[in-house]
Amino acid sequence: MTTGEIAPSSQGEDLPESLKGTLPGRYYTDPAIFRAEQAAIFETQWFCAVLAADLDKPGRFETVQVGRESVLVARGRDGAVNAYLNVCRHRGARLCTEESGEVRRAFQCPYHAWTYSLDGKLVSAPNLTSMPDVDRARFGLHRVHVREWLGYVWVCLADEPPSFEETVIGDVTTRLGTPDAIVGYQVADLKLGRRIEYDVKANWKQIVENFMECYHCATIHPELTEVLPEFADGLAAQYFVGHGAEFGRDVEGFTVDGSAGLERIPGVNEEQDRRYYAITVRPTVFINLVPDHVIFHRMFPLTADRTLVRCDWLYLPEVVDSGADIDRSVELFHRVNQQDFDACERCQLAMDSRSYRDGGVLVPSEHHIGEFHDWVRAHTG
Amino acid sequence: MIFVGELSELPPGESVRVQGEVAIAVFNADGELYAIDDTCTHQDASLSDGWLEGCAVECPLHAACFDLRTGRPSGPPAKEPVRTHRVEVQDGRIYVHETAPVGAAPVAAEAAVGEVVR
Repeated sequence: MTTGEIAPSSQGEDLPESLKGTLPGRYYTDPAIFRAEQAAIFETQWFCAVLAADLDKPGRFETVQVGRESVLVARGRDGAVNAYLNVCRHRGARLCTEESGEVRRAFQCPYHAWTYSLDGKLVSAPNLTSMPDVDRARFGLHRVHVREWLGYVWVCLADEPPSFEETVIGDVTTRLGTPDAIVGYQVADLKLGRRIEYDVKANWKQIVENFMECYHCATIHPELTEVLPEFADGLAAQYFVGHGAEFGRDVEGFTVDGSAGLERIPGVNEEQDRRYYAITVRPTVFINLVPDHVIFHRMFPLTADRTLVRCDWLYLPEVVDSGADIDRSVELFHRVNQQDFDACERCQLAMDSRSYRDGGVLVPSEHHIGEFHDWVRAHTG
Repeated sequence: MIFVGELSELPPGESVRVQGEVAIAVFNADGELYAIDDTCTHQDASLSDGWLEGCAVECPLHAACFDLRTGRPSGPPAKEPVRTHRVEVQDGRIYVHETAPVGAAPVAAEAAVGEVVR
């Protein structure tokens, strides 16, 4: 066989029944495909942007990358959260360049000083009074749809957003079997105990696919598999509907060494106690539920091969306020994150290889990832 | 004398812009009414769009701060003061007596503006 020629891969119609094909390698590296995903997925779906409690007073803002857009999310004078395209209406300068901050009264473009109130209206600009025909509302910042759920601010850049209930809440319901199962965790009432950011050199879909399966758990997650022994069988909690992976018999809590965790969240019922539930909310959110805390991942896909992941560990406010030691509980999933993201980066390295031109294969415990691939294809065409 | 509006329409913390010989900004600072030239002396911006802080207004563009009682800027970027104007309330209605432009005979100027407004 000459180099450059490669036998048709194992993908296609001739795959044995145990295996299903993945997406071809270029889906993880091709800038044109990433651009299509930005336009057709991140800029059309509800996208989880900001922890609402981080915007703790009027004027507090964060800027986040959503698809190709920078979005400015800010708390207004009336206490409500608003989101705008982070672009001055005059000549298009990026309005806020910081990732987060606070303005006293208004957002001001650093170029010609067009000035916008917290509710987005154009309030001042040089020579504005000599241009009485300029409508200050019409030339205010472009608004983006906003919804708060689980204590997070979700934004949607589409003119007509999809139903939040059918998409975001729908994904939670699909995994847990009922929309009520997450209510007892009182996620919106929990408080940030720790946040760790990971700059992952991998395509966002690698991270989603990895989170959806547990075939890798026994190999790369020794600590997690100690706490959740059933993970050694390779079936992720997400393989099932309404299934929480059970803590090992001698495990006291969801901690790096299986030692006792913290106070149980009062709404968590007996059936949910001593179990770990995992949910993927497409496109960019993972929610992990354990009896004493919630681990909430937000992804920000930046380029085809780079994704920023913000991981929040949320606890009962009294746990955080008391200064209780959360280190062992944070350490467990921090290690899982590092182990997972290392694996994703390892895969990313090979996505342009001839070997992966037509993709790889999914074993039966990973077949449900195919539904995610179908979803991506259905959106990007 | 320029009619500004009803006192009830200018609650504390609010401002309004009226046209005299030049634009004038009228402020209700915690119940005290003040009038100054509306245009910042640093760059063409409307001070009636600015931020009222006690007895001063901060220009919305570059944060030059003017004392409403004297018209003086507290510091850069503005260097020149704005003119102040006398405010009068009659039967719940606000009026401004526009100060004479520099170089004009005060009485004549006031009368002239008053006639135009009436």
